[in-house]
Amino acid sequence: MARRFFYRQFRRASRVQWALARRLTPAGRLVAGALLASMVFGPNTRLTVGYQAFTLLLVLLAIGAVCALVPPRRLEVRRRLPRYGTAGEPLTYRVLVCNPGPRSCRGVSILEDFADPRPSFETFATTPEPDESRRNWFDRKVAWHRWAWLVAQNRRLDVAEQPLGDVPPRGQVEITVQAAARARGRVRFRGMTLARPDPLGLVRALRHVPGPETLLVLPRRHPLPPIALPGAQRYQPGGIALASSVGDSEEFMSLREYRPGDPLKRIHWRSSARVGRPVVREYQDEFFVRHGLVLDTFLPAAASDVFEDAVSVAASFAAGVRAQDSLLDLMFVGPEAYVFTAGRGLGHLERMLEVLAEVRPCVDRPFSTLHRLVAERHHALSGVICVFVAWDDARRALVRHLRALDVPALLLLVADEEDARAPDETLAAAGVRRLVRGRIAEELARL
Amino acid sequence: MTPPRGLAGAALLFWGWQTGFLVAGLAMALVIEGRGLVGVRWDLSRADFNRISDVSAVMLALIAVYQVLANDSARAVLGILQWLPLTVFPLVACQLYSTGGVLDASVFFWSLRRRASERPDFPRIPVDLSYPFVALTLLSASAANVRSGVFFAGFAAMAAWGLWHVRPRRYPSVLWALVMAGAVALGWAGQVGIAEGQRALERAVAAWFLELARRETDPYRSSTALGQVGELKLSPRIVLRVETAGKTSPPALLREAAYNVYNAPVWYAVDAPFRGVSPAGDGITWRLGPQEPDAGPVVVSAYLRRGKGMLAAPNGAVQLDDLFVVELARNRLGSLRVEEGLGLVRYGVRYASGASNDPPTRMDLAVPRGEAAAVERVAHELGLAGSPPGDAVASVRAYFRRGFGYSRFVTERAAGVTALEDFLLRTRRGHCEYFATATVLLLRAAGVPARYAVGYAVHEWSALERRYVVRANDAHAWALVWLDGAWRELDTTPPEWVAVERDAVSGFAAGDLWSWAGYLFSRWRWSEREDRISGQVGWLLIPLLALLAWRLYSRRRVTARARGGAGPGAGLPRGRRLGVLRGRARAGGARLSARAGRAAVGVARAHPGRAPTGGRHRATARAARPPLPVPLRSGRAVRRRARGAARAGDGVARRPRGRRAALTPSRRAPAWRRGTGA
Repeated sequence: MARRFFYRQFRRASRVQWALARRLTPAGRLVAGALLASMVFGPNTRLTVGYQAFTLLLVLLAIGAVCALVPPRRLEVRRRLPRYGTAGEPLTYRVLVCNPGPRSCRGVSILEDFADPRPSFETFATTPEPDESRRNWFDRKVAWHRWAWLVAQNRRLDVAEQPLGDVPPRGQVEITVQAAARARGRVRFRGMTLARPDPLGLVRALRHVPGPETLLVLPRRHPLPPIALPGAQRYQPGGIALASSVGDSEEFMSLREYRPGDPLKRIHWRSSARVGRPVVREYQDEFFVRHGLVLDTFLPAAASDVFEDAVSVAASFAAGVRAQDSLLDLMFVGPEAYVFTAGRGLGHLERMLEVLAEVRPCVDRPFSTLHRLVAERHHALSGVICVFVAWDDARRALVRHLRALDVPALLLLVADEEDARAPDETLAAAGVRRLVRGRIAEELARL
Repeated sequence: MTPPRGLAGAALLFWGWQTGFLVAGLAMALVIEGRGLVGVRWDLSRADFNRISDVSAVMLALIAVYQVLANDSARAVLGILQWLPLTVFPLVACQLYSTGGVLDASVFFWSLRRRASERPDFPRIPVDLSYPFVALTLLSASAANVRSGVFFAGFAAMAAWGLWHVRPRRYPSVLWALVMAGAVALGWAGQVGIAEGQRALERAVAAWFLELARRETDPYRSSTALGQVGELKLSPRIVLRVETAGKTSPPALLREAAYNVYNAPVWYAVDAPFRGVSPAGDGITWRLGPQEPDAGPVVVSAYLRRGKGMLAAPNGAVQLDDLFVVELARNRLGSLRVEEGLGLVRYGVRYASGASNDPPTRMDLAVPRGEAAAVERVAHELGLAGSPPGDAVASVRAYFRRGFGYSRFVTERAAGVTALEDFLLRTRRGHCEYFATATVLLLRAAGVPARYAVGYAVHEWSALERRYVVRANDAHAWALVWLDGAWRELDTTPPEWVAVERDAVSGFAAGDLWSWAGYLFSRWRWSEREDRISGQVGWLLIPLLALLAWRLYSRRRVTARARGGAGPGAGLPRGRRLGVLRGRARAGGARLSARAGRAAVGVARAHPGRAPTGGRHRATARAARPPLPVPLRSGRAVRRRARGAARAGDGVARRPRGRRAALTPSRRAPAWRRGTGA
């Protein structure tokens, strides 16, 4: 009840805050802040002359608001977005602005409009922020920090106001926009807003120009040293063709007599008819390295900083694999169990990063789903890289099972330094290396 | 967004001018505007900023405690507001003189500090305090309440200066100037309207309350008001302190107000507007009448709420000595009201027996119709009609000594009987308001002018303080009677009331001790001598600021040359260059001091006469030290205005203070409402 109440208030307040941030220039925000302060300190006209400041500031903002009633002239804007962005990295794209009118347009700027970053109530109610357990009772109950954190999670791109300069009549200009990608995922642009300040430079007049587009921001990646991944070459059913081409093209080696257990589809019917007994086609066996990259997505919450770091680690491995030498199977569980293979021309690593850019925590399935998925494929894997987000009995069982199957494994746990649920001695006994949040790049460099 | 050069300094000077802290404002302005001349910047870490923020918080807390102890809540808030620029200044100065040029939001919040220390990689929230500091300074100047129009002009000028700097270039300057001028004109009209609006609202509310009070005098609705005993009655809080010269006894009664019209249950001071009294040339001596005093002085110490309140004085007061107030007003009933003064006043009263400037009027003989029957009946019993005034007074005094008793509680009475009638004819028991009201009305019935007076009885000697103390439950009511050409006091309440009140209060030694401590602090705070406390508090702050200044001075510094072309990270973007300067982005891990030292040496080689070879730029660093605190101000403005008012007064009476001369209940609550009732 209280949570829903606070959710509604936050939602309304953030709406007002967003609208004010759009409408007011930095100078206007300062004037508005001073106006509030003068309201607080100068309500009694006998005690202070703060009301004089209040009146002047109010008039300044009122004049700006009146001037902002007339929207700026219509312009056509079109973005030229790159294929990807990367979280934590600057992003540059271009915007083409056309002025169809007969008069030039001066002093207008553009503001990007993104999809609403406010979380749903379900997400708000079930997703604690990372430091929430250490906050005081009031903060935990009100959950403002949770709200702010969730909103920040959904704001994947920061774009400042972009001044356009002079746009000549029936002409066009192209500007370069510098943005900062904050988090991985799909950025959804709703359009752009043309903004024109009032003569005092306090309030903006706005005009929305629709222009829906999307941009995928790939996960943050850390540089990896040359890593000798564990494991040897394994027999790959289907041969090299599986890894080097698409379709049914298989490299034929010879014919031989049928042995029990051979698949029926390999029977060479023409030769069988000629010799009177079953003959099967035999293909060349291929042995090469194939690794599994297991991403632990099982979290009790729909978002988490630990999970983001784990995705970054997985993306670092995905990007660091030498695609011409080996295969990499990315395994994780989302709405269902997924295996995505890349390497040796079979699939592009960018595609794997795209998958990782949109992977979400799995809150409604048990960890055993992932355990089963890994166990089913262990025979083809030279080794496994597991990136865990927690350490418990279920994860311990998977590690034990891999050991029992004699599958070499590089086991990594992304956790806070003082995570009491994963003491160092327990991790060391299981052969798990802790990647401490905040120092992940350094820890990966030491692998 | 940074303010244009000179704006912050001008705002600080304006603040200093308005609040009287001109020296402090000048010093801060020099520090802030001197950053363009000083080529040294300090490489301050987050811990340094946290320390500075803590110092600012401590200063704010000290000032807040001081203001709360020394003032009432409204003035304390304004006092804190006036001082805010001083408390924020260390942070702003350090921001401007740091290599980073901005603060991190974590300096303001413990939670962010903790997160920043635990998660060094967490993105910072940069905060630039420069423009908010200018706005804060201007708003603080408003707390000085200089109502000459200078504040509006200064504020408008500063606002225009700042807005001109960020004006949109798409509009011509002339248009901007016209719009700004229109805004200023509208703002001026608006602020006049707001001030007038508040006054009109206050007048309307006051009239409404007066109307309400009139309705309450309806006999059907307010018949029991006189019998009420309030909480203050039981409060042993010390409200006055009385000292006399030598071993002379103080006057038994100190009057705060007198009233002349009774409309049960309220006494009104009718046709008695307050008029300003002009002080003598020294600004602290106030003559109340032409008579020469023959007694006193009695020194009274009293607290004034928000610097306003009634003064207690013995009957026949003709002169007040050493009274530090800006405005004093007096009505023709002899009540004294301070219109503007300090939180504590300590004044000597000289008085003369038989001194009276205000002869009685017909209102001093009026008996309200509702009480006339009972009063006439008793007057008839006593044979007051036609008796000389002296005999009438003696008869009334003797009447109340026979068979009347003191009681703080009033029992139920029969329907249709007024409280006074019930007191006179049935119960014969009541508190001082009954006795005083009945005495006044009986004397009036006898044709002797009489008034109702409230104030305090002085009877308790404090061995702790070596002076007489007067508590809230010593509040008293009595009659004033016109005898032999003067108003004289007549207290008919049985003397046992003092013992009854004393018995009701016991075991208050700790409270008295606390009260005395508070009194000593208040005397220190509101000392007549010029700003004694202010200077001492200022000196107390010096070690704190000196320590801070030394800690900052000993930080790593970067010269302008080192920050520019010759320094580490030259040619890099600002953020990267600062990172290099802080030693974060250096691969080799060389310490900044070594690099800065090398840079300084390079400068020294290039300009032997300019750069100190030792790497210590004391002359330039000195300018960035936080300034020493200026003497704090305590009531200085009040005293200054008091003297100015004295100079300007020239003995001419001020304008009438009362706005409703026709029927003006005293602004002081009636005694029953305050809980008096002895």
